[in-house]
Amino acid sequence: MKKRRLQDVLRFIGLSIFLIVAIFPLVWIFLTSIKPATEVYTFPVKYLPSKPTLEAYRYLFSFARFNVYFKNSFIVATTSAVLSTLFSIVAGYILTREQFRLRTFLILLLFFVQMLPTYLIMIPQFTMFSKLKLTNTLTSVIIIYTGFGSAFGTIMARAFLKNLPRTIEEAAMIDGCNRLQVLFKIVIPLLLPGVGSIFSFCFVNSWNEVFTAVLFLHTDRKMTVPVALYSFVSKAGIQWNVMAAGIVMALLPTIVVFMLAQKYIVEGLTQGAIKA
Amino acid sequence: MFNLNNPRFVGWSNYRTIITDPGFPRLLWNTFVWIACSVAFQFLFGLILALLLAKPFPGRGLYMGLVFYPWALSGFAIGLLWSWLLNGQFGIVNDILMRLGLIKVPIGFLSDERFAMFSVILVNVWYGIPFFAIMILAAIQSIPNELYEAAQIDGAGLFRKLFYVTLPYIRPTIYSTILLRIIWVMNFPDIIYGMTRGGPAGATNILSVNMINIVYYRNNFGLASALGMIITAILLVFAIIYLVLLERGEFEL
Repeated sequence: MKKRRLQDVLRFIGLSIFLIVAIFPLVWIFLTSIKPATEVYTFPVKYLPSKPTLEAYRYLFSFARFNVYFKNSFIVATTSAVLSTLFSIVAGYILTREQFRLRTFLILLLFFVQMLPTYLIMIPQFTMFSKLKLTNTLTSVIIIYTGFGSAFGTIMARAFLKNLPRTIEEAAMIDGCNRLQVLFKIVIPLLLPGVGSIFSFCFVNSWNEVFTAVLFLHTDRKMTVPVALYSFVSKAGIQWNVMAAGIVMALLPTIVVFMLAQKYIVEGLTQGAIKA
Repeated sequence: MFNLNNPRFVGWSNYRTIITDPGFPRLLWNTFVWIACSVAFQFLFGLILALLLAKPFPGRGLYMGLVFYPWALSGFAIGLLWSWLLNGQFGIVNDILMRLGLIKVPIGFLSDERFAMFSVILVNVWYGIPFFAIMILAAIQSIPNELYEAAQIDGAGLFRKLFYVTLPYIRPTIYSTILLRIIWVMNFPDIIYGMTRGGPAGATNILSVNMINIVYYRNNFGLASALGMIITAILLVFAIIYLVLLERGEFEL
């Protein structure tokens, strides 16, 4: 019994350390963002702001036009996530339920596309989009993110669909439903947690992407949040409390999405990434 | 921007430029160190976290939400955030170390060549622990309880259970997760880009970071594409290892 007690104490200490290490950076960047400019650059460090202020956020939204970047990011991430989720479910459904030639090859291909990082195909994409006169438009990055999201999303959708019993679908078909009706009336409602998982995953990925966005979106009105942060870095003389506020604004939406859909994301990740 | 309307065939010269560059061996070495250390420690700490989480306790759901969240954050923003924490003049990490009496003068974590690689790996480990923990935890929870009961009857202690039951059972997950992570970490310039952009003096320059620098700063798409092909070739090697293990039934597709 004594041994069990000791184990529990050790477990508690271990879990506490992991928790502090995980949360601390975020707490610190938030504290920096509400400090008055004069208290940011002090050493030894001043831990709590003497008078918390929203100065940095005010600067961000009035002078740095963060409202525009935020809106752009939101449009890009939401549109591409909606499209990828839709494509993923249709493609995943066909790849799970139908037998046809090259099926295994297609699945493997999707798997490798998922491994390719965005920056590797940035150059051919840029060449292509500049011929189409689509550079410096939100449309261009929406198309690119939708492509990447659909690849991973399809793999995730397949993992969820495999666990769905086919008998209900077969019953509906006997009752006279066609394939599309089965998909929209039966499969998607049953798959809702999976749909949420795919959507959140694609949203987070599109929201976080930097390198394609920096290359494609270069005018002030078209920038997304990561591009704006990127331009902050090169701008000499940006205050760290403003920078911290920018980082908080960049992280916030993904934290919210993660907290809301954590259970589904974790489920989708474990099912999708391994059993591709 | 780069002139895209008049492409010219240059043969293998871009590849020659990259491979004969005096900095190329160091670039490869940095990439190797970055992958090996990041993945090894992500796995180690991810495993520990998963083992700690294996037994249910009150508030476990909330705890997992808080510990796992770094995984969903933007790598670039995380890099910027940590560059502030590790700042050589005003950074809180230096402050804590000095208050604890471990160092006397602040360390330039990102400006000193000796510490830069260590620092970016540290942050990448921090960022990557949740992914391993999630995967391993899911695998641990699928282990049938009878196996532990049998081990218990045979008188196995905590460590024997770990090495003779848990680890062998989750081996497929460990293999596939490590392989996926190697590929992912090799191709993950975000954190380094947010922290050092490959500096100081190339100390944290890895293949992927170098490629982006060629695109952004030198606008040389040809050279960058050649480097991209080299990266893809390395990627392919890992993909083949993955396929071979898959074929051997080490894990399933």
